[in-house]
Amino acid sequence: MSDSALDLGTVVFLVVGVIVLAAWYLSYSASRLDRLHAKVEGAMSALDAQLVRRAEASLELAASGALDPATSLVLADAASAAVDRHTEHPLREDPLDGQNFAGREPVESDLTRALEAALPPETCDLLRATDEDGELDDAAAILARVEGAALRVQLARQFHNDAVAEVRRVRAKTVVRLFRLAGHAALPKVVHFDDDLPPGLRS
Amino acid sequence: MRIGIVCPYAFDVPGGVQFHVRDLAEHFLAEGHDVAVLAPQEDDEVELPSWFTSCGRPVAVPYNGSVARVAFGPITSARVTRWIDEGGFDVLHIHEPMVPSASVLSLWAADTVPIVATFHTSTVRSRALHVANPMLRPSLEKIRARIAVSDEARRTVRRHLRADSYVIPNGVDVEHFRQARPDARFTGTPGHPTVAFLGRIDEPRKGLDLALSALPGLRARHPGVRLLVAGPGERDISVPGVEVLGLVSDTDKAALLSSVDAYLAPHTGGESFGIVLVEAMAGGAPVVCSDLNAFVDVLGEPPAGVTFASGDADALVEALADVLDDADTRSLLRGRGRARAEAFDWGVVAEKIMAVYDTVIESAELAPDEQAGRVRDRLRRIRSGRRDRRKDSDE
Repeated sequence: MSDSALDLGTVVFLVVGVIVLAAWYLSYSASRLDRLHAKVEGAMSALDAQLVRRAEASLELAASGALDPATSLVLADAASAAVDRHTEHPLREDPLDGQNFAGREPVESDLTRALEAALPPETCDLLRATDEDGELDDAAAILARVEGAALRVQLARQFHNDAVAEVRRVRAKTVVRLFRLAGHAALPKVVHFDDDLPPGLRS
Repeated sequence: MRIGIVCPYAFDVPGGVQFHVRDLAEHFLAEGHDVAVLAPQEDDEVELPSWFTSCGRPVAVPYNGSVARVAFGPITSARVTRWIDEGGFDVLHIHEPMVPSASVLSLWAADTVPIVATFHTSTVRSRALHVANPMLRPSLEKIRARIAVSDEARRTVRRHLRADSYVIPNGVDVEHFRQARPDARFTGTPGHPTVAFLGRIDEPRKGLDLALSALPGLRARHPGVRLLVAGPGERDISVPGVEVLGLVSDTDKAALLSSVDAYLAPHTGGESFGIVLVEAMAGGAPVVCSDLNAFVDVLGEPPAGVTFASGDADALVEALADVLDDADTRSLLRGRGRARAEAFDWGVVAEKIMAVYDTVIESAELAPDEQAGRVRDRLRRIRSGRRDRRKDSDE
């Protein structure tokens, strides 16, 4: 009798132990996933902010008079399209929209190509050279802003996509899918668009 | 900006990662940023800069196929945690986050500060990683931006962590090498061309043995060639045509590179980044090197140097002798090398790293719930865990 009582006690203890462990593991996995989702959202917002900065700096360059009128027009067209798309889709108010990037990829790729066309190495050298005699100081400063924004777009997209890969890897786990630890959060997607730096800016 | 940088290796001992961290810290300090560096320290007597903090004395342990001098244990761990808590950093930049030293500990201890990690090495043993993965993974997920110093290092990160990274090369003080002027001691004369070798002479992977075994073949085509060997190490070399210079000063090294007819890098492996190649290119030495991935990446496209099959003495002779034969090739390589070296200038490199800091700081600010305190965070986790289980039982 005492043997079976002991067995019963042990069994209860083990069952409780397993339940506690399982509960802890589920809670831990859920919070880990929560953190990873927060990281993706932050990275997406950062990418959005950098894209806006890039578009605004490009607009400024187009309006500065440092480029010829035809180039300015091409650049202004692409940059204003990017700014418009951003205002149409305020990402911060609609995080799910943000995670899918709202189909903005082609617009941003267009701006990248417009920058590539507008800023061949010779033009960049020219804009920087005018800095020396102090006359067109602004052009060099705006160019530096475009350069910085283009680099930061590239970085922000890379880090966003890295964070997305982490979320997707965790969400592919059986435990996470079985217990629906991700809740209602949409599955984040990587963002693909052409973010190459204009050849003249490449260092 | 207040920047905390963590280096896993003793700061008072020479090494690639240490030099990188030191130069980076000095560059940002000169730009007016507030920088603090945490690393082990071998000798308490050594005077180190005021921005440096020691996390303890390193001990020698076998790690990753060689003996690593790293610091760990409860005392180091407490110091690392205190340094981070009291640092008030805007960004924490951890170098080699997989090395069991200040790096792993700081990654583990960091809580709310946005983290950037730089991967330097190209050799990581995958089995140890596989075993430690469940422990390291949650820490590694704190990293907001991964930087690799070369395409080779990036491939390693991808292979072992299944994660991507952004390549920002190591920085070199290009100006120092560009300003160097040829020195008559190292300059070749017609019939007596000079070739430089740099690096420890007793470290097999630097490839001095290969260079020495190729020397007879080279002398057959260029009887007057002088191989100038510069670098520390204990070894007796008395071979005709070889001049051992020993450890040379930075000034002499730059002068050497701007004087010689070719710089030879016969490395046989273990290089994740050819910093010495960049120095040679900046100094204006035509580069002849083995075709290691890291070297090919550094040379760029079109290649600013001539490569030969790694470990192949005959191929070395042919490549080097051809360069010594042809003044046009040498001047072409000099021009390309100087242009290519610009991409590795500290000014360019530090600007990119600063852009990474900007990006992660912004993404941390914009992320939801990042400011939640620890207790609240824990409560939230428990609640969400309950919610999930309840949801599960509902279904």
